[in-house]
Amino acid sequence: MRFEGTLDIAAPRDRVWSFLTDPKQVTTCAPDVQSLDVTDPRHFKVVVRAGVGPIKGTFSMNVEFTDLRDPNHASVVARGQAPGSAVEMRSEMDLEAQDATRTMMKWSSDVTVSGMIQQVGARLMQGAADKITQQVFSCIKAKLEAPVTA
Amino acid sequence: MAVQTAPATTTGTRRMKIHVTVNGEAHDVEVETRILLVHFLRENLGMTGTHIGCDTTNCGACTVLLNGRPVKSCTVFAVQADGMTVATVEGLEKDGKLDPIQEGFHEEHGLQCGFCTPGMMITAAALLAANPDPSELQIRQAISGNLCRCTGYVNIVKSVQYAARKTRETAGGKA
Amino acid sequence: MAVEIGGIGHSVKRKEDARFIRGRGNYVDDVKLPGMLYLDIARSPYAHARIKSIDTSKALAIPGVLAVITGKDLVPLKLEWMPTLMSDRQMVLPTDTVLYQAQEVAAVVATERYIAADGVAAIEVDYEPLPVVVDPIKALQPGATLVREDREQKDNHIWHWEVGDKAGTDKAFKDAEVVVKQDIYIPRIHVSSIETCGMVASFDKVNGKLTVWMTTQAPHAIRTVIALVAGHLGLSEERIRVISPDIGGGFGGKVPVYPGYVLAIGASVLTGHPVKWIEDRSENIQADSFARDYHITAELAAKKDGTMQALRVKTVADHGAFDAAANPSKYPAGLFHIITGSYPFAKSFVEVDGAYTNKPPGGIAYRCSFRVTEAAFTIERLVDVLALEIKKDPAELRMQNFIPPTAFPYTSSLGWEYDSGDYGRALKLAMDKIGYADLRKEQAAKRAKGELMGIGISSFTEIVGAGPSKHFDILGIKMFDSCEIRVHPTGKAMVRLGVKSQGQGHETTFAQIVAEELGLPVGDIAVEEGDTDTAPYGLGTYASRSTPVAGGATAIAARKIREKAKLIAAHLLEASPDDIEWKDYKFQVKGVPAKSKTMQEIAFAAYTNHPQGMEAGLEAVDYYDPPNLTFPFGSYICVVDIDRGTGEVKVRRFVAVDDCGVIINPMIVEGQIHGGLTMGLAPALYEQITYDDDGNIQGGNFMDYLLPTAMETPSWETGKTTTPSPHHPIGAKGVGESATVGAPAAIANAVVDALAHLGVRHIDIPITPWKVQKILKEKGVAE
Repeated sequence: MRFEGTLDIAAPRDRVWSFLTDPKQVTTCAPDVQSLDVTDPRHFKVVVRAGVGPIKGTFSMNVEFTDLRDPNHASVVARGQAPGSAVEMRSEMDLEAQDATRTMMKWSSDVTVSGMIQQVGARLMQGAADKITQQVFSCIKAKLEAPVTA
Repeated sequence: MAVQTAPATTTGTRRMKIHVTVNGEAHDVEVETRILLVHFLRENLGMTGTHIGCDTTNCGACTVLLNGRPVKSCTVFAVQADGMTVATVEGLEKDGKLDPIQEGFHEEHGLQCGFCTPGMMITAAALLAANPDPSELQIRQAISGNLCRCTGYVNIVKSVQYAARKTRETAGGKA
Repeated sequence: MAVEIGGIGHSVKRKEDARFIRGRGNYVDDVKLPGMLYLDIARSPYAHARIKSIDTSKALAIPGVLAVITGKDLVPLKLEWMPTLMSDRQMVLPTDTVLYQAQEVAAVVATERYIAADGVAAIEVDYEPLPVVVDPIKALQPGATLVREDREQKDNHIWHWEVGDKAGTDKAFKDAEVVVKQDIYIPRIHVSSIETCGMVASFDKVNGKLTVWMTTQAPHAIRTVIALVAGHLGLSEERIRVISPDIGGGFGGKVPVYPGYVLAIGASVLTGHPVKWIEDRSENIQADSFARDYHITAELAAKKDGTMQALRVKTVADHGAFDAAANPSKYPAGLFHIITGSYPFAKSFVEVDGAYTNKPPGGIAYRCSFRVTEAAFTIERLVDVLALEIKKDPAELRMQNFIPPTAFPYTSSLGWEYDSGDYGRALKLAMDKIGYADLRKEQAAKRAKGELMGIGISSFTEIVGAGPSKHFDILGIKMFDSCEIRVHPTGKAMVRLGVKSQGQGHETTFAQIVAEELGLPVGDIAVEEGDTDTAPYGLGTYASRSTPVAGGATAIAARKIREKAKLIAAHLLEASPDDIEWKDYKFQVKGVPAKSKTMQEIAFAAYTNHPQGMEAGLEAVDYYDPPNLTFPFGSYICVVDIDRGTGEVKVRRFVAVDDCGVIINPMIVEGQIHGGLTMGLAPALYEQITYDDDGNIQGGNFMDYLLPTAMETPSWETGKTTTPSPHHPIGAKGVGESATVGAPAAIANAVVDALAHLGVRHIDIPITPWKVQKILKEKGVAE
C-alpha cells in the first residue's frame, strides 16, 4: 500500500526536524506504544499495538533512519512482527520552511503487510491504515503546534 | 539443543470450577478459563466423538447441543457451559439402542470417512426436535453449517429423512 | 444364497459404520498416550525472506515448554532437508531462507496443547524480506528472482517433459482445415478434507522402536522413507511401525510427507516421550500440498466437419518452492497425457514445464488421479470450443468422434492402451436421462426472451490403477499392491491389505470380493488395513488405485485359497480334483450336487483333516502387478441458469453416467460419485487459492476458501453403464476420482453455453458471480 500527503504545521522547521528525528519524541505519536529502546541516534526499537478489524497484534518494530539530511529530508525504514504477522514501512519526509513559524511537510510511505493480519484483515486494511495514518499525523501536528513550555 | 524438564504444575493461567452435565452425567471439574468446550469434552472428559475440522468456526464438525441448542463447541469456552447440559454424539445411543438418526445414517449410507458425521447427526437431532417433518430444503438449510467433503450431501439428506420417518412412526405407534 | 453371501454387486451396508455413528472412530487426534507432549509450529509470515536470527528465549521461559527446535538444531542430525517424492528436496526447517508464506520455521514441544501454542507466539524471528515471485510464467523469464539458491541450476525451471510426435503434430496443424486454440488457467485449490493432518510419534528408547499414528494414505511407503531418511539416527525398518488409523478424508492431501511429521518424530526421539502434532485448518490450507495451478495453452486441429485430427498442448506447471507432488517417478506431470480423452487423435504432442515460485509445494493433492482432472477439463473444454467454432451441437460432435467400442484395446497417440470403453452408450444414456432434446428446445425459447440457460457436456475418459511395474514406481518402489487372506477353522476369514481407506468403505467392499470368491458370508470376513506391523506391503490408496490393484490381489489371493480348498474338497468327497467344480459357492462333484462341501467345512478340515503331505491351514497372499491401468469413463450433462442481476450460476440439474466396469457395491460407488461431483462443483464455481504480489495467500482459511455446503450442492442424479475391464481379475476399474475429473468441464461448458450467443467462448474456473457479472455488463445484458 502507498500513502502520501502534506501536512501544514505551525511550527518552525528546525523544531519539526528535531521532533521527527528524535525517537523519544516522534514515538509519542505512534499507536499504543508499549515500550521504546533507543540504540543510537539512527536506530531504535519500539513495541506498539495495532490492528485491523478483529485482529490486533503487538508489533515489535525495528526502526532505522536510513538517510538524514538536516534540516529537510529524512528516510526511515521500520520493520517488525507480531506472531503470525509482519509489517514493513519505508517512509520519506521532506520539510520546507514556509516562513519562520510555518513548515510544510511532504511525506510518503510504502507499507507492506504480511501474514495473518493481511489475510484476515485484507478487506479492512486500507481503511485501518488510513485511520492510523490520520491519527499519527494529527498527533504530530498537535504536539508541534502546542505552546512550548519553558 | 537442550530439553528442559517440565514443572510440576503449570502456573499463571486462570482456573475456574465448572459444573456441566454431559449426556446426562454430571461433571464437576476445574478448568483453565481459556479452554474451549470442544477440548474440554475431548481431553478432560475423554469423549473424542466430537471432532475439530477448522479454526474459523465454519465447518461444524464440533457441533454439540448446549441446553438443547446446536452450537459449535470450538467457539464456546468450557466455562460458558457451566451449569448447562451438553449433548454429544456419544449420547445418541440409549441403553444399547441406536437413535433413529444413527440408524438412518447407516441405512442410507450418509457417511464415508465419518469425520463430519457426529456434528451432522447432532445438527439433525436439533432439527428434528424442532421440526419432525422437514422438507428437503429445510434439511439442507439446517445442515448448511456442517461441511462434508466425502458424501456430496445427497445421502445425508436421505439419512435425516429416514430418521424423521422412523421417529414419526415410532411416536405414532406409541399409545 | 447370493444375498447372504453379499458378494460382488450387492449394496451391502457398511461394516465400518458401527464405530463412526457412535462417535467411536479412532482418528489420530483421538490417540492419547501416557506422558504425551504436544508440538506446534511457528511459521513465516513472509513469502521469501532471509532469517537473521531466531530468539527462542521467551518461548523457553514459558512453564511447560520443554524444547524449541530450529533449523540449525537439525543440521547435526542431517534432518534439515528431506527428499521429496519427485527427487527434489524440501526443507524440514530453514537454516537460512524461507521460501513461502506459512513455511515451518521453528517447532515448540510442550506439555500441553495450549502451552505449545503460547510457545509459538513467543518465538521472535528477525527476517530480512526478499523479493517475491508468485507468477510461474514470470518466474521462468530471465532475470526473475531465484527461488532455490540451493540448486546447482540457477533458475526457476524444474524440468521439461514431453510426449508424442512433435513434428507429425505440427504438420497436422499446418494442414488442418480448422484449428481452435484456447488458453486455460486451472487455479490452485486445496483439498481440505475435514480432518487436517497430524501424527502421534512415540519412540521407545529401551526397545529402539518407533511407533507413529499418522494421517497417511500410504503407511508402508512412509515406513520405508522414515528408515531411509532417519536410519542414521538409529531407526531401523523392522523397528518402525506406522499405523494409519481412521482417516477423516485423504483425497491425496495425506500422501506427502510434511515437515510436521518429521519434527514430531524428531521430538519424540529427542524427549523420549510420545509427541502429538495436529495442524490447524489454516496451517493445512496454507502450507500443505495444493492441487492444480496449471497454465495451459491447448490447440485442436480438425476437419471442417468436426472430425478431430490432432492435439497440441503446452503447459507451465506451478509447483511452489519445492517439487513435492506425489507423482510416479517417471511422470513429473502425472498422467496428464490422458488428455486425448475419449477421442482418437491420430497425432498429438504434449509438453509441460515445471516452475518454482514462492508458494507452498505440492501439485496433485485433490482427488485428481495424477493430473487427470487437468487433462479432462482441457480436452472437454476444447471440444466445446471446436463445437462453437464449427457451429455443431456439442453432443453430436462428441458422438461423431468417440473412439468406437470395437477399437478396444485402443492405443492412443500418446502411448496409453485403453482397456475398454463404450463412450457413445454412456452419452446416449445421459442424454436420455436429462431429456437433452427438450432442454435444447427450452434453451432456444428462453434465449428468445433474454433468459440465460446453458447445457454442458463432459464425456471424459480417465486413467487409474497405478501401476504396471514396467513404468510405475514411487521413489523406486514399484506400484504393486497386496492382499493376505487367512481362513480360520470356524470358517471365518481375516483379510489384510496394503492399501488404506480414508472413507471409501474397504472393510465392506474388499470383504465382498472375498465373499464372492470363497462363498463365505461378507459378515464373516474381517478386513484390516493400515498397520505396517501386520499388513502386507502396499503402496496405499490414492489415484483410485485400490480396486484396480489391491482388488486384483484380493481376487487372486482368494483364488489361490480356492485352489487348495479344491484339493481338500476332493479329499473330503473322496473324488479326484478333476471331478470337483466350484458352483453356487460350494465345491461339488460334477453332476452330483448332493455331494458337496462348503468353504466352512473345508476350512475346518484344513486344520483337522487335511490330506497327508499337504500343509495345514488355509491362507494365501498375493502381490499383484497390474498388467495395465484401467480406464473408467462417463458422460455428464449439466443444466445451469444464470441470474442476470447477480451473475450467480445455479446448477438446475446434473446427470452423471459413470462406467467403472464391474461394480462391487452399487451403494458405495454411488456415494463416491456424489462426493466426487461435489468436489468437481467446488473448483468450478467456488474454490480458488491466490497470492498477492507479496506472496500473501488470499483464501487461507474457511472464511475465504469456500467449500460447498448442502445449500450449494445440487441433488445429483446418477446412472451407469458397465463395460468390464478385460484384464482385471474381477473386471473392475477404479471410480473414486472419476466424478471430480469429469464434473468441472460439464459445469464450465454449461456456463459458456449459456453465454455463447453473446460471443463468449471460455471462462476460467472458478466461475464466480463477479466474473459472470463483468461479462454480462460488457455484453450489455446485465440486469
